[in-house]
Amino acid sequence: MAGRYELKIGDEVKTLEWLPGEGPDQARVRISEAEYSVRFQAVDDHQILLQVGGRTVQAFVAGGANGKYVFIEGGVYRVEELDQARKRKSRGGLDETPAEVTPPMPAVVVRLLVREGETVAKGQGLVVVTAMKMETTLKAPFDGVVKQIKTTLQAKVMPGDQLVEIEERKAS
Amino acid sequence: MRVGATSVALPGLTMFKKVLIANRGEIAVRIIRTCREMGIQTVAVYSEVDKTALHVLEADEAVGLGSAEPNHSYLNIDRLLAAARKTGAEAIHPGYGFLAENPVFAERCRQDGVIFIGPPAQAIRDLGNKTVARTIMSRAGVPVIPGLHQTSEDLQVFSREAERLGYPIIIKAAAGGGGKGMRTVSDLSDLPEAFQSCRSEAEKAFGDGSLYLEKHLESPRHVEFQILADSFGNVVHLFERECSIQRRHQKIIEETPSPALTSDLRRQMGQAAVAAARASGYVNAGTVEFLLDRDGNFYFLEVNTRLQVEHPITEVTTGLDLVRCQLEIAAGQALTFRQEEIQPRGWAIECRIYAEDPEAQFLPSPGKILTLREPSGPGIRLDSGIRAGFEVPMEYDPILSKLIVYAENREAARQRMIRALENYVILGINTTIPFLLEVFKSAEFREGRTRTDFIDRHFEGWKPDRGKADLARIAFAAHDRCRVRTSTGEKASAPDRLSPWQTLGEWRL
Repeated sequence: MAGRYELKIGDEVKTLEWLPGEGPDQARVRISEAEYSVRFQAVDDHQILLQVGGRTVQAFVAGGANGKYVFIEGGVYRVEELDQARKRKSRGGLDETPAEVTPPMPAVVVRLLVREGETVAKGQGLVVVTAMKMETTLKAPFDGVVKQIKTTLQAKVMPGDQLVEIEERKAS
Repeated sequence: MRVGATSVALPGLTMFKKVLIANRGEIAVRIIRTCREMGIQTVAVYSEVDKTALHVLEADEAVGLGSAEPNHSYLNIDRLLAAARKTGAEAIHPGYGFLAENPVFAERCRQDGVIFIGPPAQAIRDLGNKTVARTIMSRAGVPVIPGLHQTSEDLQVFSREAERLGYPIIIKAAAGGGGKGMRTVSDLSDLPEAFQSCRSEAEKAFGDGSLYLEKHLESPRHVEFQILADSFGNVVHLFERECSIQRRHQKIIEETPSPALTSDLRRQMGQAAVAAARASGYVNAGTVEFLLDRDGNFYFLEVNTRLQVEHPITEVTTGLDLVRCQLEIAAGQALTFRQEEIQPRGWAIECRIYAEDPEAQFLPSPGKILTLREPSGPGIRLDSGIRAGFEVPMEYDPILSKLIVYAENREAARQRMIRALENYVILGINTTIPFLLEVFKSAEFREGRTRTDFIDRHFEGWKPDRGKADLARIAFAAHDRCRVRTSTGEKASAPDRLSPWQTLGEWRL
């Protein structure tokens, strides 16, 4: 059974073509120009034994919020399947706005630096969050006016949560 | 000789029956294990988010303290003492961090008739203040970094002293620590600004804005000595740990012995560490930290009045269990070995595994651990506080575990560490493992050129090597194929789960 995957690692998207091999545990895999002959075997739900070319590799795979984590010999790759990412975007629509004020990790809000109605400049600190004893200041993505503060002190917040809504002031 | 003969709990010698561990994570687990070996009952404490954390599962009893907020749980002295009273614990081990170096906590334990497993409150207080500690040490003949011995509010005092020492200098908060409340100044014109900002930072962070000044040492090494002192005036040192590899003033890799010490320097520094312990009235396990400059001059930095994170490397090279020593000393027993009987062997390296994203400026990475496979094998020790399925909380330190390797020499230990890290699978959250691997593989580490600016100098703006990205993509797709087939029940043609009856042909396993 053949298949096609659009796989993103870091900023690099590559198409992977999965073509049947000689046996049920074999495949030919094309990534860009390269073609690999692959044998594969599931060890358990998270572990795959691979033979690629002449080389045996133990891989571990586990699902995260944004794609999967793949472990190969001490390196961890976050692999995102683009198809899925597009679906997520069309549902939430958040990922398309780089202008969001959202924490980069699960965190707790410790300080609010602005009030509703306040004029802010691009880069100005809006909210301070903390996780694991490290503070991060979330900054204004553009010049504008604080329309709404959507969080409170001590609130637990997640990546994707919009903490402050800013109405952009277009340069006239 | 080998010092396996640290005192056996002989009949008649007092030892605690029950100890409360006022901490969480890997250090709580590590302390519980020694207690169990000694037949001591253990009481774990936990916050709301740690109900099923590893330290709770491993203890004999566990007491809930309150919400995740540290002030309501691991930092709450009243609740900790109440838990000790309720469970009948005779002593409290504070671990490191949280209340471990809080003289008020040590004092409150004493008032409540509970033994604090650590030094006397007065020693914690004196050594916690940098200018007091500097004065104690220079009186005892321990070399201190040139600079002021007293705090001052007068900028003139600072500029005169800086002039005398020559720039660059460093302004420090007397109450400081952990890299906070410090400013390096390389020119007189920057002094007033640095003085002001350092004072306000110290006021905010420590509630005490008093400052002093030291000569700034150019890319020194951080070398510390483990000491043990009993209540009968016996003090020994257990040799050094080199902790130069740091990020944001936090150690990330430690080793012993130090590649930088000659046996002569080692003897001098060991003697200075013992003198420092005696001068401060120290009892129990502690660490005397020194900076070592390029010319082999060493200077007192500070005393850590607790069990250090990196204590295991000393344990594996000396054969001593430091937690056992701490318990014996706290129970009033005398040290049973003399300095000349302690003979370290081989080489040990530790690295700290943090829940941080090395690809994104080491941002904290709390969350659920989906898959966990821990390394094992000859010369490998893992002190871990996590398990598969555990939700690493966002409220505490990002340390997950410590990987310690031991081998006959440095290069063998380094290779062993690389092998162990390559076998350490933690998926679901980001960890520093990929970053550590590249540090250990680097020529600079291999050659022992470890100084405190190591990370800034060699790994600034580090990005992971994506050399195996295609393999990762193949693994992703293969995993997906296996899953699809399992879920649709398409079994006959599928490479199903591995079974011993399947032939693997020419597979290399």
